[in-house]
Amino acid sequence: MQRDKFFKEIDNLTHPNERLIKTHCSYCGMQCGMNLRVNTITNKIIGVEPRYDWPVTVGKMCPKGVTAYQQTNHKDRLLKPLIRDDASLKGTKEGFREASWEEAYDLIAAKFKELQEQYGKDSLSVFSGVSMTNEKCYLTGKFARVALGTRYIDYNGRFCMSSAAGGFLRSFGVDRGSTLPWTDIHETDCLFIAGSNTAECHPTSMFRVWAVQERGGYLIVADPRETPIARRADIHLDLKPGTDLALANGILNLLIQNGYADEEFVRQHTNGFEETKELVKEFTPEYTSELTGVAIEKIVRAAEIYGKAPNAIVMFARGVEQQHKGVDNVSAYVNLALVTGKIGRTKAGVATFTGQGNGQGGREHGQKADLLPGYRKITNPKHVQEVCDVWGITPEEMPGPGVSAYEMFELMEKKTIRGLYLLCSNPAVSAPNLNFVRQAMKNLDFMVCADFYLSESAEFADVVLPSVTWSEDEGTVTNLEGRIIKINQAQEPIGESKPDWKIQVELAERLGRGKYFSHLHTAKDVADEFRLATKGGYADYYGATWDKIDKQDGVFWPCKDEKDAGTPHMFLDKKFYHEDGRAKICALPYRPPAEEPDEQYPLRLTTGRVVYHYLSGNQTRRIPFLKDMCPEPFVEVHPETALKYDINHEENVRLFTRRGEGIYRVKITEAIRQDTVFVPYHFGHEQSINLLTIAALDPMSRMPEFKACAAQIEKLEQKKVQ
Amino acid sequence: MKKRLYLELENCIGCRSCLAACTQCGGHEERNRNYVYDVNPLVNRQTMPLMCLHCVNPACARSCPAQAIQIHETGAVLSALVEKCIGCQNCTIACPYGIPKFDTEQNLMYKCDLCIDRTKDGIPPMCASVCPTNTLQWLTDEEIENKKQHNLDNGKWVTSMPYLEGETNVKISLPGILQGVTKLF
Ligand code: SF4
Ligand code: SF4
Ligand code: SF4
Ligand code: SF4
Repeated sequence: MQRDKFFKEIDNLTHPNERLIKTHCSYCGMQCGMNLRVNTITNKIIGVEPRYDWPVTVGKMCPKGVTAYQQTNHKDRLLKPLIRDDASLKGTKEGFREASWEEAYDLIAAKFKELQEQYGKDSLSVFSGVSMTNEKCYLTGKFARVALGTRYIDYNGRFCMSSAAGGFLRSFGVDRGSTLPWTDIHETDCLFIAGSNTAECHPTSMFRVWAVQERGGYLIVADPRETPIARRADIHLDLKPGTDLALANGILNLLIQNGYADEEFVRQHTNGFEETKELVKEFTPEYTSELTGVAIEKIVRAAEIYGKAPNAIVMFARGVEQQHKGVDNVSAYVNLALVTGKIGRTKAGVATFTGQGNGQGGREHGQKADLLPGYRKITNPKHVQEVCDVWGITPEEMPGPGVSAYEMFELMEKKTIRGLYLLCSNPAVSAPNLNFVRQAMKNLDFMVCADFYLSESAEFADVVLPSVTWSEDEGTVTNLEGRIIKINQAQEPIGESKPDWKIQVELAERLGRGKYFSHLHTAKDVADEFRLATKGGYADYYGATWDKIDKQDGVFWPCKDEKDAGTPHMFLDKKFYHEDGRAKICALPYRPPAEEPDEQYPLRLTTGRVVYHYLSGNQTRRIPFLKDMCPEPFVEVHPETALKYDINHEENVRLFTRRGEGIYRVKITEAIRQDTVFVPYHFGHEQSINLLTIAALDPMSRMPEFKACAAQIEKLEQKKVQ
Repeated sequence: MKKRLYLELENCIGCRSCLAACTQCGGHEERNRNYVYDVNPLVNRQTMPLMCLHCVNPACARSCPAQAIQIHETGAVLSALVEKCIGCQNCTIACPYGIPKFDTEQNLMYKCDLCIDRTKDGIPPMCASVCPTNTLQWLTDEEIENKKQHNLDNGKWVTSMPYLEGETNVKISLPGILQGVTKLF
């Protein structure tokens, strides 16, 4: 299908006594194709071989992907359930003993029942993640509602993709992270990339990005830091963290003023133009420059290039989304495409760089507090009925909507929530305002954590269940294009570890809810029920059978039935998903970050990733190559700022905010704004930068403002006497 | 069809996937044989790989008193033969780019062998397979020829100016891939 100029027929190298299992990387939304090398005598994974025949990434992988296979048989794997009897040791690695699954299940069932009898159904909660297959994400939602009967389920996508989801829903009426396949990227004429450190977070997009410039196309990058992609951009819009909305409004104003609006498209296919045009008038280049700190000429030139480009793609990531106006930022950048009509055709559109492997699929199928499979709403009686029909429960049995991820911790603190089943996530590192979050986890009466390593969050658990890595199970994942792909099993689960779906089926049986789960014997069984549960929803996966995924190199949703090949390009018929078929151009008043710098805290702190680590680092910090490359966090400081604080490269300093503090090694670089400091967030315990971040939530997506808060530096070391 | 390693240095993002991949080649004992440098560390994030260029008349092999460094029929300059290498480290000094590495425990030199177990059968080297930016590519001479806007004025492929070393099997895009690109609009 989408084989392009980068695709080459190449045979793989195979060694004797070895077979290759075609699959995808365990980590980010790129979901690069890879082959796992399996020894046919020991049946163990022993290495990686590029997957040249995967059309999106043609064999390419970042260093995380190259070394991903080392997770499976790692010495830190949990091989048996662990129980901790002494609750006073919560928050440490101490006091765990190995136990049988029987004992662990008995204890969990007894504690869960006890809590629910005493404090009601909603005293339990489920906190999950989207670095796992659609089938697991689906079943987790069902487990919470049907096996536990609680309203409190939410997931780590609230710290990742929820603003993109909210923005797309508002603008288009549908939330598919990319309106076009990645194989279009290198063929466009202009890429406008905002708040994405693409080269480090989605490296295998880069050969397509560079190819645009090689063809004579343009690259515009908005980022407070001169990241590796910004370094080669035609225009680098070096804005202050948290000011994207002003920048997008300013550029939209210039596009309209200079005649780049596609009036025909706007009239026929959108709502909201006039109102938005009025609102953005205020955002003159001068005013936009004042708010964002970006030079006027750059703003003007960026608008000119985007306006003139025959085809252009607007792309963004957590930089714009992890703000307390993340949803507005997304809609504001989408506005650029809607007003100029650069959408609804090939080589032009809008995309977000999905962070987690299944950040797209995992948010569609009922792990979110208010959603049910197929992107159905739990507040819509018709939707509830449709899902009840598949699950075999009555609408009265369906719990109502819960609260968002961070708000669940607030309820733990208040003792509204007393029990937690945590899986596929490590909020003790990844949540904002960690002093509070860790205290809330300590406050729980009973906590279960399923993971394949003892994560920082597992340190708060009473019971830890050993789950499997991605390579020991099978299922589907939806990559950042909206393409449903297949993860294949390369090895049997090691030790006594089990896939999460199996743990849920067995736990449901212990909880007396077996009749809703016992028919699920294999991952394929879960997949078949899952596809059925999405049927008729707008994220319809019904036609995306494993067979079709294999034959077609993936299937883009929506895919309604056997005959439907899927939908690589969205909106080609210029029909959007709002009831009147129109997209919404949004008038969005500017708001500054929740916490602006002041005299006490004069710096802007922003956080992000490095290429060597994935999310909370629970996986990548254990891989020798990745650990060697980046063993600890650091704080990036501009040389002028360093001079002011009298601090040097490699010196340890105290970085602090109103919420917390940490000691960080200074990395001096001119590739950052003078008013901004940056710290990567992949590290645990006292090294977690999220001890400092702010939990100011977006009113719609409930996304915390990881990307901007006010901070101060204090020098620790005394100057050496010369 | 003969293929070569071809480098477009400005594409490099410093991800060091090429290093990770090099540790994965057969017979590499999980040690990488290539390098990635921060070009201007306190200033910007520019990086570049430093690879063995598989010289046609390699100084490393010439300097070896024990003939431990063999040249494969594909032109790949191989890692030292375990049974021949005497650990004198001449090659590490002779190579103009400091490519050969030295294992003091085994008293043995090791260097890039152009993934000979792959490239002898026309399979791309690990580093060029995974490189996410196409800084490292595995191309036919014809494909390289098609990039001819990147040739130097004198029509020659050289590894640096002025010449440090003669003809190489690995080709580098000089003066740079964006030189002379005309903008679309
Ligand atoms: S982490 Fe992302 S970019 Fe890197 S190999 Fe895995 S899927 Fe590809
Ligand atoms: S893999 Fe490619 S982009 Fe990454 S460091 Fe190596 S040469 Fe540079
Ligand atoms: S670059 Fe150095 S190590 Fe490689 S062949 Fe030439 S002289 Fe030998
Ligand atoms: S060609 Fe092979 S041996 Fe040489 S640097 Fe690349 S991966 Fe290493």
